Amino acid sequence: MRRRFPEVFLGIGFVGIMSTLFLGLNWAPSVSINAFESPAAQRIFYWHVPAAWAAFIAFGVLFTGSALWFFKRSPFGWRLHVAGAEAGLACGLMTVWSGCVWGAAEWGTPWDWTDVRLNTFGLLTLLALFLVLGRQSQPDGVETRDTFSTFGLYGFVLVPLTYIATRIWQIRHPGPVIGAGDDGGSLQSSMALVLLIGALSFTIFIIGHMMISMRITHLEQRLEHAQKKLDGGN
Amino acid sequence: MVVPSENGRFDVGLQSRTSMPASLLSLVDIEVRRGMGVVFSGFNLEVDSKDVVVLHGENGAGKSTVIESCARLLPLERGSILHHGSLVVDSEGRRSLAKQPFGLTLQSNGLLGDETVENHLSTVCSLSGMKTDLLPLLDAYGLAHRRYDRIGQLSGGQARKVAVLTGLLPAMLSREPRLVLLDEPATGLDERALARLISDIGQLREAGHAFVIASHHPEIMKCATRLHDLKSETSQNQPESQPWQALGIEENISLLSTRTGHRYLRSTRAGLARNGLTALLVLGALLAFIDPASLEKSILVGFVLAAPFAAGLAGDPVVYLMREQRAGDWWRAHVNRLPAADFLAPVLGFTLTGLGSILFLDAFNWKISVIGAGVLWATLLCVRFIELSTLRLARPNAVFIRLLLPILILPWALVVEYAATL
Repeated sequence: MRRRFPEVFLGIGFVGIMSTLFLGLNWAPSVSINAFESPAAQRIFYWHVPAAWAAFIAFGVLFTGSALWFFKRSPFGWRLHVAGAEAGLACGLMTVWSGCVWGAAEWGTPWDWTDVRLNTFGLLTLLALFLVLGRQSQPDGVETRDTFSTFGLYGFVLVPLTYIATRIWQIRHPGPVIGAGDDGGSLQSSMALVLLIGALSFTIFIIGHMMISMRITHLEQRLEHAQKKLDGGN
Repeated sequence: MVVPSENGRFDVGLQSRTSMPASLLSLVDIEVRRGMGVVFSGFNLEVDSKDVVVLHGENGAGKSTVIESCARLLPLERGSILHHGSLVVDSEGRRSLAKQPFGLTLQSNGLLGDETVENHLSTVCSLSGMKTDLLPLLDAYGLAHRRYDRIGQLSGGQARKVAVLTGLLPAMLSREPRLVLLDEPATGLDERALARLISDIGQLREAGHAFVIASHHPEIMKCATRLHDLKSETSQNQPESQPWQALGIEENISLLSTRTGHRYLRSTRAGLARNGLTALLVLGALLAFIDPASLEKSILVGFVLAAPFAAGLAGDPVVYLMREQRAGDWWRAHVNRLPAADFLAPVLGFTLTGLGSILFLDAFNWKISVIGAGVLWATLLCVRFIELSTLRLARPNAVFIRLLLPILILPWALVVEYAATL
């Protein structure tokens, strides 16, 4: 059963995400037509925010893995790095894509090159893409791992910058609706419930995704080791 | 002085560390990994004045790895390397320039095809803080008639001779003992050049210089004082020969990396070919599809500054050039700052922005032109930093480094906003 944990996590996460989508599109109340240019498009928020949350978890794992490899030469750390980069790319693309759809409907433009939040998050996603594609283009080795884990470490600077961006420079991206620091909060309870289900589902899904990714990387390493043995190397 | 240890490695004798003058090269308990394999671990080597250590052994044993580690080109997993008693690299990531110049010949030459033979060897002399008449040396290796030719026009064997001379020069110039690292120096040399090389090694050894040479060649192995197969070592005596008479005259050098980068650019025109043309294409494309009269000033300023930005995104042309035959690695072994296109950025940036402001704003605007020079300089610097970060990879050209360049768009957009207010 323990060996099936990742698949179970993925399954539960997937069902949860689908439920979030259903509830977000059909059950959650509409927002005020006075507050938004395109109130219907706001429902994408139930996908966008949990995906961004999961992306931050993945980037945290990427940073931890990069640090473990870079400072401790831990093979487990490298597997975390690979899993974090892949999960960060998946969730980052989900967030950017959904954000662009909402931006096109609400602002009339899918992207704004002068908005700090959009750009720093976009860069994090590009960093994950760079790490995933770059790793596939290179033979595995300490040189490859050192270089990419260095980028993983430096790239993490963007995470706190992305988090505080809308608190410091609110150019186009809306400010925080949760944990904004004000006493009331601006979400209705039913909206918050759907959002909570979404965040939990994405978290479970991304954990399952990373566990499977780590397992695949481990198998790749075993295969390479076996091939080296056949070649007569050490 | 060199004592076999229990594991068959050779260890540094205590006496040599305390009472003798510092060795020219000390490898202390080093471990180096390449790919996922450990090439060697717990390796010790001490090289003193008048030593000629020839590393031999089967392919993949780690001979070139030793040479490149000594030249600070590979990071150490464990241990440290010292030149003349001063640390040059260790496993903690410390990396310092060797206080004394040393000679280095890489297996893949490390030469830039657009340099002339004379210019390249003069630069090697300058790195040692010396100058000399190169003609007798070139004549001895059969290269005198090729003195003013570009290295790219030479045959493979002739280029190898230049690479070997590059490695020998720091010792040939100096009266003080120098370390010389040669990786497969005999490959591609004709009989006359090989005989000359062996004679030079003998004379330089007599003058007190020390060599670490990776080679299988029987003639090179014959001139060794110590034969090392990376597991065990044997000594052999060498007949006395006439010591080498140092050729160098001391010379004050400054801004060598900048001057060399500028010369690379002048001889290749890579700055215009890569960065200049990229910017002109951007300007041309914008002019072809957009009517400037119909746009507001902030967008027009964006167009003007798009040209230097695009030129910067094309990357430092000197870094691009130095990927040839690992020329960048050869430089990295000797200096902390690689040759760069220092003058290109401000000059090209000012010119392109001036041209853009005439095209889009109908008048030359010197303030925006200065900003354009800064945009190109800053962009080039960032791209150069990112590109140099990936040079250690096995396939640096295959990595998707340009994916990271959008990081520069936000600062550029903010600069455009500011410039539009001027």
